[in-house]
Order: sequence, then C-alpha cells, then structure tokens
Amino acid sequence: MGLVPGLGGASVIRSDRAATGLVSLFSFAILAVFFLIPLAFMVVVSFYKPDPMGFYQVAFSWENYAKYFSSFYLNVTLRSLWSAGVSAVLVVVLAFFAVLAIVDLSRRWQLFWAVLLLSLMCISEVIVGFSWLILLSESAGIPRLLEVLGLWDDPRSLSPSFGAMLIGLVTLGISIVMLILLPEAANRDRSIEEAAQTLGTPPLRVVFNITLPIFAPTLLALTLTMFIYLIGVFVMPTMLGRPSDWTMTVMISDKALGDANLPLGAALAVAMLIITVVVMLLSTMVSRRRLL
Amino acid sequence: MNLLAGRVVLWVIAFGIIAPIVIIAGVSVGASKTITFPPTALSLQWYQTLLTDPDWLRAIVTSLVVAVLAAIISVLLALAINYALWRTKSRFSKMVFSLGLGPFLLPPIILALGASLFWAELGWYGRIEATIVSHGIFFVTLPLVILSRGFAKITDEVVEAAQLMGATPVKLFRTIVLPLIMPYLLTGFAIVAIISVNEYLIANMISGFVVETLPIKIFNNVRYGYSPVVAAASMLFIGITVGVLALVARTIDLLALLGMTRDR
Repeated sequence: MGLVPGLGGASVIRSDRAATGLVSLFSFAILAVFFLIPLAFMVVVSFYKPDPMGFYQVAFSWENYAKYFSSFYLNVTLRSLWSAGVSAVLVVVLAFFAVLAIVDLSRRWQLFWAVLLLSLMCISEVIVGFSWLILLSESAGIPRLLEVLGLWDDPRSLSPSFGAMLIGLVTLGISIVMLILLPEAANRDRSIEEAAQTLGTPPLRVVFNITLPIFAPTLLALTLTMFIYLIGVFVMPTMLGRPSDWTMTVMISDKALGDANLPLGAALAVAMLIITVVVMLLSTMVSRRRLL
Repeated sequence: MNLLAGRVVLWVIAFGIIAPIVIIAGVSVGASKTITFPPTALSLQWYQTLLTDPDWLRAIVTSLVVAVLAAIISVLLALAINYALWRTKSRFSKMVFSLGLGPFLLPPIILALGASLFWAELGWYGRIEATIVSHGIFFVTLPLVILSRGFAKITDEVVEAAQLMGATPVKLFRTIVLPLIMPYLLTGFAIVAIISVNEYLIANMISGFVVETLPIKIFNNVRYGYSPVVAAASMLFIGITVGVLALVARTIDLLALLGMTRDR
C-alpha cells in the first residue's frame, strides 16, 4: 500500500475503506455473474421456443407455460408437493424426538452423533440412494433377512416404491434438521420442564405440553425449509421411486438432458422457483411472528 | 429427562444411518459378481478394480481436482465477503453477505439448470472449468457462515492495539486476522471439498457427459446394471468423508462450532 504508518491516520483509513469497498464490489460481481445472471437467463429461456435440432430459438412465447398448465405437468407438481410435504413432516417429527434424546447423552456420545450426522450430511445422495436400494432388495436386504428368519416365504424387493422414495428422502433431510435443532435443544431453558417433572408429570407429557409448544415455531419453519430442500432432490425419486412417483426435479432434468427441450425445462424450473419463493416467504412470516 | 420415545427414535435413526453402510461394506468385500449379502466368500477384487481400472481412476482424479479447486474459490470468496463486512459493516457488504446465502436456499436443480444454460451460451458446456466455478460459487454459503463465526471472535481491543502500533491494514490482516480465522478457513475448505466431491446433480447437468465425477459414474453404474465396484467406490468415499471430518474434529471444537456448548 506504500503508506507510511503514522503519517496521517485519516488517509490510511480512507484508502482502507476504498480497498475494502473494492473487495466487496468484486465479490458482488462474482456472485452476480455466476449466480444471478444464470438464474435470470433461465427465466429468459423459458420464453424461448424449443428447437428440435439444437438448444432453442430466440423468441417470445407463452407456449411453454401453456404446456405447463396442461394437466400432466400440474399433476407432477401436485405429486411433488405431496411427497416433499409428507417427507418434510416426517423428518422434522423424527428429528425433534431424536435431538431431545441426544442432548441428554454424555458429551462423548454427543460428539459421536455430531460426527455421524455430519458424515451422513456429507455422504453423496447417490450413495445414500444406492445403499437403500441394496437394503430393500430381495437378494441382500431386509426382505432377505426376513426370509432367512423364516418370516417371509416369498421375498420381493421393496423398491422401487413410494415408501422407498420416502425413506430415501427422510435419510437425506434428517441429518440437516438434527444438526440445526441440536444447539437449540442443548441450550434451551429447562426450568419449566424440570418444575413439571418434579411435580410428577410423565416425561412424554412434559414433551407434548411444554417442550413442543416452545419449539413449535422453529419446527414449523424447519418443515418449510425441508420442504424446499426435498422438493429439489433428484436421486431418490429416480433410484427408489417408480416413474409414477417422479417429481418436478426429475422432469426438469429430463427435459434438459433427455428430451433436449430446454425452454420447457426452464419453464418448469421457473414454476418451481415461484413455489420455492412462496414457501420461503411463508417461512419468514412464521419466524417473524415468533419475535412478536 | 429419560424419554423412551426419544431413545427409540434415536435407535431407528442410528439403524437407518449405519445399516446401509454395513451392507455396502459387506457387498464391497464379497467375491460374488451379483450383489448379495451376507457375502459367501471374501475378496478385495472390487477395490483392486476401482484403483486400477483407468475409467474409475479418471473419475476419482476428476472428482478430487474439482473438489480442491472449487473449495479454494469458495473459501476465497467467503473470506472476501466476510472481511469486507467485518471492516466496514456497510449496508452493501451486508447485502453481499445475504446474497451469498442464496444458493443454499434454492433447490439445486434450479441452480443446475441456470448454470447449464449459462455455460452452454458461453460455449463452456462440457468443460471442467465450468463445473469447478459453479461448484465454488454455489457452495459458498457454508464457509460464509463458518467464517462469520471466526470473524465474530476477533475482539476490537486486539485490532485497536495493532492499529495504535502502526499496523497497516495489510499487516493487520496478515498477522492478526489470518491466524485467528485459520481454523475456520480450513473447516470451510474441508466442508466445501466434501460437498463438491459428493455432489451429483449440478456436476451432471453442467458437463456430466464429458466431466465424469465419481458420483456421476456411480449413478450411471447403478442405473445401467451395477457391479460391486460401486460398493467399493462408495466405501472409499465414506472413508474419505469420515476421515476428513474426524481430522476437522481434532483441529476445532465441533460441538462448539455447531453451537452446542452448554457451559456458557
């Protein structure tokens, strides 16, 4: 920088401000070019016309959106909302009870769970899907185990099915929700719970009457966050679900890579973006109300 | 509080996480060509194939190159954003910080489609650079949040003392800021590298046909008739991931980083 220290504090501060301003501007430019512009371009492409020979023809038409509002894609949308909704609720309910149990374990076991959950969060969804595929298969999984134990004479693969897809989605989401809930559960104020317990309230009753109402806004916001996350999962529906379970995400990828109808894919993605934004607004409304 | 329901759920979840890994481990050391469990005879041939077959090796190397470079981009960007926010606390730098949270909030398929259209328009479709840059930008959120915890730990007294003694901003950054946030920087780097190495959808949509990373190769293998090599590859992956995390847990207090300190 070439500034002699002590020569003039004001000029040092001024040039420092300019330099940090530049750093800020530069990082904004990077995010704008590689994150915002691609999204904006996707919206533009959703108005283009598909070109069977190549990518797309520059045009302005509502054709893709008209197609989207045909019953097939609306059905796919409803189906995606349903599977993401059911799995999001399952994830949050299971995570809530599990986390309450974890924070009462010893520090060593807490660390074990932290590493286990972080690992699960980091492991590729491809591998999670693959492992459930094996676990549900008739040759190496739970059906085979039941056969060996003599509980199932004629074992069948349990995937692909809607249930298998749900299991996959729950496995993906649960590590994230548990990691978010852990600190909140560990640092919560327990005075009321302890008072109720001292007065002889059974533990489950304490959870439902005291802990759950306190956590309700957090859990609701988390359910909505999970919903957004799970509606975007690609691997589980394709690996563990039947074609009739395939979600919007699968359709978008299919349009982009399979059918080479990028404008229609972009229109589907824009529809999904709108759903996402609406759910996010709902989620902020929920957490705002907690502050009041 | 001894909650039976919580314990039961905990065991079910532990089963759901650990059982698949056990099965994959079993398949990966089984001698049989079809996927069976428990294995009838043991063999390490699938690991051998994984580490000698040029196709699998290429996928492993591609994945590692993408992960390391993407993590460097991500961490540098997160550092720049956090540094500017820490120094100025201006409204603009706050806005840039929130913008950096964006990619994490959107479903990856939307980012993936946008990026693939963007790179195709630029003529970079199918190039490894496109995958690297997009991974680096899209995964910036976690290092951004982790680093902000590091910057929050730098007290004003240290900074003022250094400035009173005549440290220039560059010197201040080099001798005080950098050493203090180093553990957070490394954690952020490790996490982006792990996420990138495991990511399928974005990598596949940007240039999956040409730049075949390990998850893409595994997915394609599973879809079009799979061999136990996939199980061996998955084990390698899980090994790397858990290993890196255990290393991170040694350099930084994981429970504190997650915000789980009870004694405050």
